[in-house]
Amino acid sequence: MATATATTRPLGPAAGRLARRHAWTGAVVTFFVLLLAWNASQTRNFGAFEIQTLLASTLPLAYLAMAQSVVVIGGGIDLSVGAMLVLVNCLSARFMEGTDLGGSLLVAAGCLAVAAALGALTGLVITVSRIPDIIVTLAASFVWGGAALFVLHTPGGGTSTGFQALVLGSGSAWWPALLCLLAPLLLVWAPLRRSRTGIAVFALGSDRNAAYLSGVDPLRTRVVAYAVDGLLCGLAGLATTAFTAGGSPQSTIAMNATLNSVAAIVLGGVALSGGVGGLIGPVFAVWCLYLIPNIMLGLGVDPSYGEVVKGVVVVLVVLAGGLLRARRNRAP
Amino acid sequence: MTQAAIKDEDAAPERGLLARVAAADRPTLALIGVLVALVVANGLIDRNFLSLSQLRNTLLVTAPLALLAGGQTLCMLTGGIDLSVAMTATAAAYVTGVQSADGPAVLAIAAGLLVGVVVGLVNGLAIGVFKVNPLIMTLGMSGILTGLLTVGSQTFLGGATRMSELVLELGGGTIVGPIPWNLVVWLLLGGALVVGLRRTGLGRLIYAVGDNRVACRLAGVRIWQVETAVYTLCALLAAVAGILIGGRSGSVDLQLAGSYLLPSVAAAVIGGTSILGGVGGYTGTILGAVILAVLDTMLNLLTVDEALKQVLYGCIILALSWAYARGTASA
Amino acid sequence: MALRSVDLAVERGEIHGLVGANGAGKSTLVKILSGVLSPDAGVVEVAGRAVRLRSPAHARASGLAPVFQDPAFAPDLTVSENLRLTGTDQGGFRRRAGELGLDGVELGDPAGSLPLPLLRMLDLARVLAHDPALLLLDEITAALPADYADRVFAAIRQAREEGRSVLFISHRLLEVQEVCDRVTVLRDGRNVDTYRTTEGPEGFGEPQGGAPMRRGEQRIVAAMLGERAALAVTEPRLVARTSHVQPGEPALRVRGLSDGHRVRDVSLSLARGEVLGITGLEGQGQDELFAILAGDRRATDGEIVANGRRLVARHPHDAIRRGLTLVPSDRWQALLPQRSVRENLAIAHYNAPAGWGWINLDRERRQVAEAIGRLSIDTRAQAQARRLSGGNQQKVAIGRWLVGGFTTLLCFDPTRGIDVGTKHQIYDLFRELAAAGRSVLMFTSELREVPLACDRVLVLYDGRIVAELAATDADEATLLGAAHGLAEALTES
Repeated sequence: MATATATTRPLGPAAGRLARRHAWTGAVVTFFVLLLAWNASQTRNFGAFEIQTLLASTLPLAYLAMAQSVVVIGGGIDLSVGAMLVLVNCLSARFMEGTDLGGSLLVAAGCLAVAAALGALTGLVITVSRIPDIIVTLAASFVWGGAALFVLHTPGGGTSTGFQALVLGSGSAWWPALLCLLAPLLLVWAPLRRSRTGIAVFALGSDRNAAYLSGVDPLRTRVVAYAVDGLLCGLAGLATTAFTAGGSPQSTIAMNATLNSVAAIVLGGVALSGGVGGLIGPVFAVWCLYLIPNIMLGLGVDPSYGEVVKGVVVVLVVLAGGLLRARRNRAP
Repeated sequence: MTQAAIKDEDAAPERGLLARVAAADRPTLALIGVLVALVVANGLIDRNFLSLSQLRNTLLVTAPLALLAGGQTLCMLTGGIDLSVAMTATAAAYVTGVQSADGPAVLAIAAGLLVGVVVGLVNGLAIGVFKVNPLIMTLGMSGILTGLLTVGSQTFLGGATRMSELVLELGGGTIVGPIPWNLVVWLLLGGALVVGLRRTGLGRLIYAVGDNRVACRLAGVRIWQVETAVYTLCALLAAVAGILIGGRSGSVDLQLAGSYLLPSVAAAVIGGTSILGGVGGYTGTILGAVILAVLDTMLNLLTVDEALKQVLYGCIILALSWAYARGTASA
Repeated sequence: MALRSVDLAVERGEIHGLVGANGAGKSTLVKILSGVLSPDAGVVEVAGRAVRLRSPAHARASGLAPVFQDPAFAPDLTVSENLRLTGTDQGGFRRRAGELGLDGVELGDPAGSLPLPLLRMLDLARVLAHDPALLLLDEITAALPADYADRVFAAIRQAREEGRSVLFISHRLLEVQEVCDRVTVLRDGRNVDTYRTTEGPEGFGEPQGGAPMRRGEQRIVAAMLGERAALAVTEPRLVARTSHVQPGEPALRVRGLSDGHRVRDVSLSLARGEVLGITGLEGQGQDELFAILAGDRRATDGEIVANGRRLVARHPHDAIRRGLTLVPSDRWQALLPQRSVRENLAIAHYNAPAGWGWINLDRERRQVAEAIGRLSIDTRAQAQARRLSGGNQQKVAIGRWLVGGFTTLLCFDPTRGIDVGTKHQIYDLFRELAAAGRSVLMFTSELREVPLACDRVLVLYDGRIVAELAATDADEATLLGAAHGLAEALTES
């Protein structure tokens, strides 16, 4: 007697599964394409330059969204992503000042190592201390913010133009920024996702108990997740340095960035409860959030209303997502 | 087991007051100890600290923070959080300021409080009825309020934003000696919070909902009602805090309450309220707020670098949370 | 401290039963053996070598493989991803799953979309695929449909043939006797007795004809409770029970109830002063039926009439207002774990805004004390309800409605996983409530206990009531047959 009721799969088993797993990402991508088309229609001579601006100015937030995704998928949250961005920004701006491309790259590598190490440390503290991650990362955001002030008392520092061009491109060359965006996705996330540790991250976020009983080492898994998170935040900081050609230790930047990262992942299909989602959806969500104020500007509306619209959109999307999930859970 | 503010009176109803406090409020005692140590340290650093005027200054800062943290405590007890308290406070201050120019002071205050009620209702209904995650909803609300205030400060909220005499007095004035008016406001509201959490049905429910939602639902509790009430109360307290802050500074701007957001959460955490819900209380939060205020003053007196201050804040929050976590683990 | 001093030896190729009352330490022992908890003292030896079990992964590597009641599958991951977590070979897994009769399982499905009994079988298959030295089965047959349970027994016996050992933990003494070679009884954190389930001076001996309980179970129960209590408890109450059923308007009348899913067409009538039992196999609609009656779920068709008035409940609150209150089977659905016993008992008073105001402490204290006394709730660990033993927790769950008030008590499997002594206390309470004019609707999966508590029993099969028996006619064979949908069983009664 089989008590397993097979769910109807009209598209055939494999295709149906694929569709369900990536439904949300597909929706966000579609939304982005629509917004892009709309914005393009508003702008005269919409072309490579606008694409480059889009990619370059959203690069930091895109990295942050990816960082936050990794942590949230693993069942946690990181309120210090913005502060880490600011810290790396200040560190790199301070030491890249006056260097050439080679020197900048060296500094960049060092910053990434520091960021990943700090991330791993955060994951270690969270697991060992049993303090909820919100609190640990909240405390961490204070510490990183203070450290940033140590490094740069006031906005300043600089970077090499070679570095800027490498990361962001220049003029209408938009592919460097895209490459920089794809690099961690292809080199870090894709292999991780298929590895046993990557599956462990998803498992930890899905059901911590089941994961532990299945032999997942919560310490190792969480440390890896937060280290990757740190690395991506480091990239965000470097991108900011490239974009602003300097560093700024303001704490309001940190907080806004963190809040925006949470909004982006929620829009991008990552469930705050963990175990569900990916990194691609949030990146597209970041681009959508970028386009909304632009479109409103094009419509002649005060861009501050763009903030209002963004807030409303995030709330509505989460609402819809929650309702959808609730209906699916209640259904047989 | 270290849980602030929950006494089980069945345990030994005949025990003396002191014994009961000692048994149940261990973290509160520890926090009081920390506070006393800080005050003494401050007094040693700068004789003036214990002077009436300095005391008054410290209390002036504490009262609004304690109100914001009180609202935060309520939300955290149900397992949620409210990241819009700072902007709600700012919005309430703005509206009160604008209304003060046109009409009687009391109406202006009422208008400001109404802002709090509206924001709280929207938050509460979205979180309770539509099941939006509190972090997201209050984040979104914060963004919405920021946007509205940015636009508004240039248009419909622009012009004269001078606070009325009443508000100035409540926010910055003194009743006698070192005791500012806003302390009185805070004591009244704070006292209501402490008593309310322990001795009213709603207070019991706030703890119950944070402890186990499913059980509450099966016991017949309509959880959305409790959540709506909680977020409305939180926003209302934020509105009061905003008006008091605006009264103290005399004018209103967008950054009015921004620096109070993270400390409001920190005060609740330091006071022993768990972000996961069901554990904690306002008594601890009060101590947390006072400790933060005194610590801030002390660090300023020592002319400590802003950078070091931030790092210290982070370490303190971490250390205290670690202590609480170990306390509940060993319980 | 749940375990004081336990000596346990499981031989190679042996099925060893582990029984004990709630709080005796079985779960703790299993957690230690599966690497979830570490012992303060003592040694665990596997195949003669001492091992320190530091984590579930380590225990698994040492050959100790548990199967818990909650299958260790992450719901958002597919079955194959879950298998990769444990490093399970997919081919071996498929073979074992096939042996358990689970051929059509799609490994690419998210684990959360599969029904719970199937997941538990897959958990067993996964464990078997690792060729463990010792299988730890913690209440594996609880809430498994009978045919799945049979396959489990076959698999256990096969494991024995293969030279593996099985530690079989169960409350169902009948199963334990049938399947196990030896049985160890735990009481208060110590092992108090170990027997062979065969003839001879060390064993149970032959069942004595006409005895209400076989000698083996008597011995086990005696060991679980300590000698004094055993006699009083193992003799079933065959004392003539007065019926307290009152004529007139029934307390609860259900007609044609359906939820478009598992509940197809349920009709029943519960008189005032009656204790009505419902029984059936897993997944016949009982969970959904009780959820509908409690107001936690909507019906798509049919009607519910409570105390003479039609009830349409959109929330448990509506049902509670009409006197229909639910005691859930899962104690973690019923209790507020970190709140005191008093708060747990009194919560029903504050479940509406009308009750949000000032609490009358004296009245509350009085009502709570009354409930505690009536149910004999052990309040020594009262500061937090999660510290209570399982039996006491169940009493608190019931006590809440003694304090809050009710007309009809809906109890879902109230005695599952509870020790014998507490079970009888609960059944006595039900009879008292009936005598006072209240009604109890009880779902139970313990067929043998139906006559102990109920006046009548209904059998639920495939979402419908297929049989109705008076308690005196409700022997196990008849009930089991009806539960499987066999009409012959009904005509025999």
